[in-house]
Amino acid sequence: MEEFLINIVQDGLLAAVAAIGFSSISNAPKRAYLTCGVIAAVGHVVRYILMRPFCGPMNIIVASFIASLAIGVLAVILSRRIKCPAEVCFFPALLPMIPGMYAYRALEALLMCLVHTSEPTFNHYLYLLSYNGLTCIFIIIGMVLGATIPVFALKRMAFQATR
Amino acid sequence: MARRFGCQVGITVMPTYVEIMSDGVTARRIHNCGINFDLNARLSRLSWEVADRRYSLEQAKAEFQKIINIPRTNPIQVLFQASIANAAFCRLFQGDAAAVAVVFIATLAGFRIRQIMLDRRIDFRLTVICAAFVAATISSACYLFGWGNTPEIALGTSVLYLIPGVPYINAVSDMMDKHYLSAYSRFMDALIITACITIGLVAAMFLMGIKILS
Repeated sequence: MEEFLINIVQDGLLAAVAAIGFSSISNAPKRAYLTCGVIAAVGHVVRYILMRPFCGPMNIIVASFIASLAIGVLAVILSRRIKCPAEVCFFPALLPMIPGMYAYRALEALLMCLVHTSEPTFNHYLYLLSYNGLTCIFIIIGMVLGATIPVFALKRMAFQATR
Repeated sequence: MARRFGCQVGITVMPTYVEIMSDGVTARRIHNCGINFDLNARLSRLSWEVADRRYSLEQAKAEFQKIINIPRTNPIQVLFQASIANAAFCRLFQGDAAAVAVVFIATLAGFRIRQIMLDRRIDFRLTVICAAFVAATISSACYLFGWGNTPEIALGTSVLYLIPGVPYINAVSDMMDKHYLSAYSRFMDALIITACITIGLVAAMFLMGIKILS
């Protein structure tokens, strides 16, 4: 249990550091840093918990979608406090959830397909390519839908964040 | 904003220009200035000030000039923040200490290249290829010298800072708003940048002779 808590804290902190760093690439206003970090940490921890065994473990696509919903709602609420559009808060917060390793493995499998030596190995790598590629694409779609639904649902609130 | 000044406006956003229709039609080319959230936030604030009748036209124009001349965050600070972020990323994907350290150095080099090339107004796609190539070459050190147990994570995450996340997200939100043309063009843009990252990564892997056998 103790280890579980440490893992959660570590996960959240790393996500926050990554989000703040990446938000600076897009020149986010400095007052948004803390909010971005908090939202990213909450989102990533939600996904981490959903993917532990006692939650099923839930499929990574569904877990990412639910975590992004949390990010979207938080972003709309908190963006009013720092007087920024909600997008400024949730873009960097989504970045730590981008399935980079799936994308990389898909690419690796694609290369192996091209230099294959026999039909079974080709089929194996084609399977890896489609599995990793599809998972990656659907995680991204799920994430973006999850984060934008709250913005559309709370449109009045999101739209007037900087008013 | 338009209602305040008593005129009707239609706006068409195309991939390379924006069309504003009011009495006549004005089309403006889009300047590529990079993503700038601070600018977005300030302009959004300004638009509300105008719509709520707190600023006159002249005041708004002066404020606009002031806003677009605000310099970006210090590039060196951004460089280090981006590198730390990418290293944190690597740890998030269960990379070990060696992988994290190598990714930090690789991002530092790759991101600096990106900054230098963009300052000299070199084509963005070429910039991405070069930055991905440099970052991937450096991070393949984990493979070559056998540092740590997670070399593939080091190599995979070293180019992640280049992924065009904002265009991807914008594309989907445009799609939800039924701006299909704009959504498609943004998606294509992002896809091409991703392909450029791949080219850089693959070139580096061939150069360093990395055999990815499972």
